Amino acid sequence: MAPAAVERRERGAGVRAGRAGIALGAVLLVALTASVCLGSTRVPLGEVWSAVERGLTGQAPAPGTQDLIVWRLRVPRALLAAVVGAGLGLVGTAVQALVRNPLADPYLLGISSGASLGAVSAIVLGAGAGGALGLGLSSAAFAGALASFALVWAFARRGGGFRPLRLVLAGVGIGQFLSGFTHYLVLRSGDEQQTHGVLFWLMGSLGGAQWTTLAAPTAAVLLGLAALLARARALNALLMGDETAASLGVDVTRLRRELFVVTSMLTGVLVSVSGAIGFVGLMVPHACRMVVGGDHRRLLPVSALFGAVLLTVVDLIARTALPDQELPVGVVTALIGAPTLLYLLDRRLERG
Amino acid sequence: MALSGRTVVSGVHIVAEEGEIAGLIGPNGSGKSTVLRTVYRHLRPQAGRVLVGGTDVRTLTAVESARRVAALPQERGTDFELSVHEVVAMGRTPYKRAFSGEDRTDTDTVAAALSRVGMSGAGRRRFSALSGGERQRVLLARALAQDPQVLVLDEPTNHLDVRHQVELLTLLRDQRRTTLLALHDLNAAASVCDRLHVLHRGAVVASGAPREVLTPELLAEVFGVRAAVVEHPLTGDPLIAFDHRGAVEAAAV
Repeated sequence: MAPAAVERRERGAGVRAGRAGIALGAVLLVALTASVCLGSTRVPLGEVWSAVERGLTGQAPAPGTQDLIVWRLRVPRALLAAVVGAGLGLVGTAVQALVRNPLADPYLLGISSGASLGAVSAIVLGAGAGGALGLGLSSAAFAGALASFALVWAFARRGGGFRPLRLVLAGVGIGQFLSGFTHYLVLRSGDEQQTHGVLFWLMGSLGGAQWTTLAAPTAAVLLGLAALLARARALNALLMGDETAASLGVDVTRLRRELFVVTSMLTGVLVSVSGAIGFVGLMVPHACRMVVGGDHRRLLPVSALFGAVLLTVVDLIARTALPDQELPVGVVTALIGAPTLLYLLDRRLERG
Repeated sequence: MALSGRTVVSGVHIVAEEGEIAGLIGPNGSGKSTVLRTVYRHLRPQAGRVLVGGTDVRTLTAVESARRVAALPQERGTDFELSVHEVVAMGRTPYKRAFSGEDRTDTDTVAAALSRVGMSGAGRRRFSALSGGERQRVLLARALAQDPQVLVLDEPTNHLDVRHQVELLTLLRDQRRTTLLALHDLNAAASVCDRLHVLHRGAVVASGAPREVLTPELLAEVFGVRAAVVEHPLTGDPLIAFDHRGAVEAAAV
C-alpha cells in the first residue's frame, strides 16, 4: 500500500474522534435543554431561553414566570450533572490505565467509599462548613480517596506484580469496610432529618446543586483534564505494561504517583458535591474506546463529553421516573451500570 | 558499541558489538531478564554501568536513553482494545512533547516500521485479535519506530510455533541492528547470534562465538543435560542434539 493511503487510513481515527466530539457536544446541548425543561413542572422552551438570557445578563427574574425555578434550580443542576459526569468519565479512563484494568472504576476500587468516609467524617466532626465552596469537605474527601486508593493498591501489590482480580476484590473489600464505617458515623450522629439527607447524598445525588456548588468541580475537571492530557502518551505506554513504559522513557513510579493524586483529587471533589455515583467511570471509557480507539489523546476528551451527556440524561431520568419522588442518581447508574459490568465480564471471559 | 553491566544478581560483563546480535542464554532463573531490565532501565543496577556507544545510560535522561535503547520485554498483550497503529505509534513516545500531535515524521516512521516487519496496511486491525506471531512482529515494529541504536529482546520467540519463531528471528537478522536478546532455544541462539553470553546462577560463565561456547561440557555443567554438538546439515551452524533420555548425573553437584 502506498504511504499516502496508509496515512489517510490512520488519519481516520482522528477524524472519527473529531466527529464524535462535535456530535457529543450537540447532544449535550440538547440533553441540558431537556433537563431544564422537564421535571415536576414543565417549562416551555421559549420561557427557558428567556430565563437563561435574563440570568446571564444579570437581570432580576420576571415576576409571574418560572424564571426562579429555571435559573436557580434547574440550570445549575443540569450543569452540575454535566460537570460531574465529565469528571467521572475522566477518572474512570485514568484509573483504568493506572491499574491497567478496563474493568476498574473509582467506585469499584473503593476510592469513592474513601472519599465518602472523608466527607462524612468532616461533617460529623463539624469541619464540613469550610466556606461556601465546600473546600473543607472537598479536602477531606480528597484525603479519604487518596488514603483508600493507596490502601487498595498496596494490598493488591503485596508480593510483587498485581493481578486484576486481586485488585478489584481488594477494592470491593476495602470499599465495603469503609462504607460500613461511614454508615455507622451517619447513623450515630442522631439528627434524623440530617441522617436522611446524608444517606440520600451518599447514594449519589445532584440534589444539592446551586450556582456556588459548581465552581469547585468545574475547576477540578478542567485541571484534571489538562493534567491527564499532558500525560496522554505516557498513559498509552502504560497500557502495555510497566516494563514497556519504562523502555519508552516513562518514569512509571512518578507517573503512578501523579495519577494517584489527580484521580483522588477529582474523586474527592466529585464525591463532595454529588456523593458516590457508581459505574459511570466504568461504562463511559468502554463505550468511547469502541468509537475512537484507545489513544488517550482522543479518549480523554471524548470520555469527558460522553460522561457529561450520560449523567445529564441519567439525572433527568432520576428526577422524572417517579411522579412524586426523586431517585438518587446513583441508584439509576447502578441499575444501568451493574448489568453492563456483568455483560463486559462475560464478553471478556468468552474471549479468554 | 559495548554494553557492560554489573547486576544485583552478580558481576556480569556483556558485550554486543555494533551491528551484531548478542545472545544471552542460561537456565531459568539464571538472571537473563534481570540483566536485560537494567539495559532498558526498568531496573537500576546497584553497581556497574550500561554503556551504549560509550555513553553510560544512567547519565542520560529516561527519554534520551529510550531514543537509544528499545526493548521488547516479556509483556506481550493488553486487555485494552488498541489498534496496531496505536501500539506501533507508542514507539514515538520518547520523541514527543506533551500535547503534541502526530506529525508527518511519526506517520512515516510507523508505516516504515510496519512494512519492515511485513505488516504493512495492518494499522487499523485490533492488536488483541492478532495471532501470537503477528503480535510479536507488531511489537518489534514498535521498537523499530523508536529508531534505537540498540534493540533488547527478552525471549521474543516464547509461545510462538516453529514457523513464527523462524520468521521472527529472520526478521531480526535482517534489521542489521545491534541486538541483545535472551533466548531459551539453544539451537536458535546458535544459528542467529554472532556472540553468546552464558549466564549461570547470576554470573557469566562463558562468552564468545556460538561454536566456541556451546560445548558438550558447558551444556552438561550449566544446563545439566547430555548433548552432542554437531554441524547443522543445512546451514553448517552448530547443532545441539540433546539426549532426551537422561539428565547428567553430575549436574546435582
